Amino acid sequence: MMQTDDRLKGLFALDEPPARDPAFSTAVIEQVLRQRLREDVALMTAVSIVFAGVLWLVWPFLQPAIVSVSQGLAPTLGAIALAFCATMILGARPACLFGLAT
Amino acid sequence: MSPASLDEALVAAAQGGSTEAFSRLVERHQQVLRGFLRRICGDWVQADDLAQETFIVAWSRIGRLTTGSSVRGWLCGIGYNKHLSAVRSAARERARGAIYEAERDPTVDAAIEDRLTLKRAMTDLPAEQRACISLCLAAEFSHAEAAEALALPLGTVKSHVTRGRARLLQALGLSDDAN
Repeated sequence: MMQTDDRLKGLFALDEPPARDPAFSTAVIEQVLRQRLREDVALMTAVSIVFAGVLWLVWPFLQPAIVSVSQGLAPTLGAIALAFCATMILGARPACLFGLAT
Repeated sequence: MSPASLDEALVAAAQGGSTEAFSRLVERHQQVLRGFLRRICGDWVQADDLAQETFIVAWSRIGRLTTGSSVRGWLCGIGYNKHLSAVRSAARERARGAIYEAERDPTVDAAIEDRLTLKRAMTDLPAEQRACISLCLAAEFSHAEAAEALALPLGTVKSHVTRGRARLLQALGLSDDAN
């Protein structure tokens, strides 16, 4: 039985791909990274749309308040916005920032 | 570090978002997955496409893989389902077989003839039987591991392997020296 199984195994082995195939692995990882980029773009688009909608709803109430405090808070808000952008660009993935991925 | 614990470490890192760790998992398991898919598809190009799709799905579902699970079994399970979805129609399989037969070179030598006979015999097996044979006889999966990968009862896997093996031996004109 062992001999017969070895014979079968030998024939099956002729269809075996190589143990290392960098071209295949690279193609897979390329697709994984592409998918990840698509997910990130989709998430950022969704967040931007939600943020824009919320802003549009609250703007009539927010605008007078902003105008009244803008003189004093403008530099601080500017710095916070800049830090947020820098984190997004240089730091973690957007999904991590929103706690949706590790 | 044993292969199983290396797999566990790589899975944990991949679950943490490391594409480098996932890339190493791809390198480690591409051979067994592609070999399995080549044997059940009979078409190398389609098998490699399915293997790529399997790894993409695996990446998106890596968080569901529990500690201690067989990574190669899990991947083969995803690949098997992909194969079943892709080749649902028996008519398509028959058509492919007919084209394959028509394109065969009649002057092939005995070794190649055996290989082609095995391929034809594999194509004739039912999908589940073919998958069980591919894992247990060709890829050295245990019956239990194959049962888990293919989501089949253990007894079914054992009988598929026994029956499938007998049909392959018959097609190749081999006799079982144990019988």
